[in-house]
Amino acid sequence: MLTSFQKMRKTHENNYAIYLLTDELLHIIYKKVSHIDLKAAEIIVRDRMQLQQGRELPVLCDIREVRNINKPARDYLALEGSQWITTIAFLIDPPITDVISSIYLETHPKSVPTRSFTNKSEALAFLGVEDDYNDKP
Amino acid sequence: MPNSDDFRVKRIHNMLLEMAKGNFFHSLEPSEKNDNIASLVVMLNMVNEEIRASFVHQGFANAHHTPQCIIQLSLLMDANGTIEMVTNGSCSLLSCLPKDVIGKGLTDLMTEISRKKWAKELSKLLKRDSSETVLHLELMTHQGLLLSNDCHISVFKSLDGAGRKILLNTVFFSKGEPFETGRPKKTMKLTKGIKEPKVILGPRDIQMIRDVHDMILNNLEKDLPQLKDLALQMGTNEYKLKYGFKQLYGITIFRCLVQERLRKTRTLIQHSDLSLKQIAHMTGFKSPAHFSRAFKDKYGLSPSELRETSR
Repeated sequence: MLTSFQKMRKTHENNYAIYLLTDELLHIIYKKVSHIDLKAAEIIVRDRMQLQQGRELPVLCDIREVRNINKPARDYLALEGSQWITTIAFLIDPPITDVISSIYLETHPKSVPTRSFTNKSEALAFLGVEDDYNDKP
Repeated sequence: MPNSDDFRVKRIHNMLLEMAKGNFFHSLEPSEKNDNIASLVVMLNMVNEEIRASFVHQGFANAHHTPQCIIQLSLLMDANGTIEMVTNGSCSLLSCLPKDVIGKGLTDLMTEISRKKWAKELSKLLKRDSSETVLHLELMTHQGLLLSNDCHISVFKSLDGAGRKILLNTVFFSKGEPFETGRPKKTMKLTKGIKEPKVILGPRDIQMIRDVHDMILNNLEKDLPQLKDLALQMGTNEYKLKYGFKQLYGITIFRCLVQERLRKTRTLIQHSDLSLKQIAHMTGFKSPAHFSRAFKDKYGLSPSELRETSR
């Protein structure tokens, strides 16, 4: 936990997500909200880009609490909203977020290497990041 | 029992039946649960949105923007929100007859969340002689399917001056950008008419054209090869590639490239410190002037104006 604390450079929170930024990774945890629409997606991307300041990073995207995200939001996240991301690992909790990530991946071109995982260590391994920090101490 | 499996499956059946009839405007209320039926509901909603998006052009390929055509839902109400008039289009969207809704309160058709929102907004709107607003509302059909959309609400004085009337209007849905361009005429244009020759496309051609589309999206900063060379590379001919692409995506290959590049630039203009010249260069635009013109055409304001408003 100490390691993680030392490594953490910045955190940020808005109505839809919590962002944890280290030197090597951006961890985004989507909050439990009823619905992600285009407006929400724009805020999610805006805050991410402001946090990253142009630095390209792998992203661990914890979508386990997501229950509903509409098409304009999905399209925006996949196209306008995929700047400065080198790799994405979705952290999912089947069956709902499994379905959401599968449709998202199937219906959008993969400009960024993306995979879904139920296990955080495997997700971090895919992103090439050491599993030595923890957001839930 | 709204939460029983039987009830939820029944809703899914209703939704599928509507889809079988070619009606893709509805959705199902998502649940808090994380079980197999809930995942099916999510999948059905998302698949429905993708199919809907495929219909503006010839289908077979999902568009990465939400296209829009025009079916209007209009309701006239008194100051209590009791429905006095509905259009035929509204009745078919709500799958009911006029007599089923006339005389009823609009709130009877709403979901709980919308009901709260409506009550809060309406009391504010009724304070003035006339006022307008846009509210995102969810209406529920008789079969329990959701119609969720931004609704334009106008409150005005009735002719005899005795009270207020409320007009609710919403359009399912007009083609174009999800972002306001301030150019309403343009957003209503559905197609330019079919002047191009029709190409007969087999499943392999469709897959090939989808691959070209994905290739464009994954290489936005790179220049496209000559169509002739691209066709050769994809094992087809220039004619099939050119007109087949237009048929499938409703846009030419080169316009598609420009449009997708512009989408990328938008977030960079808003949220990065890169100069507009750098952004134009990074996204493959040869000249900043061309970039600026194309951007203004798509979004209704120039890159520098957008940057100004984003600061």
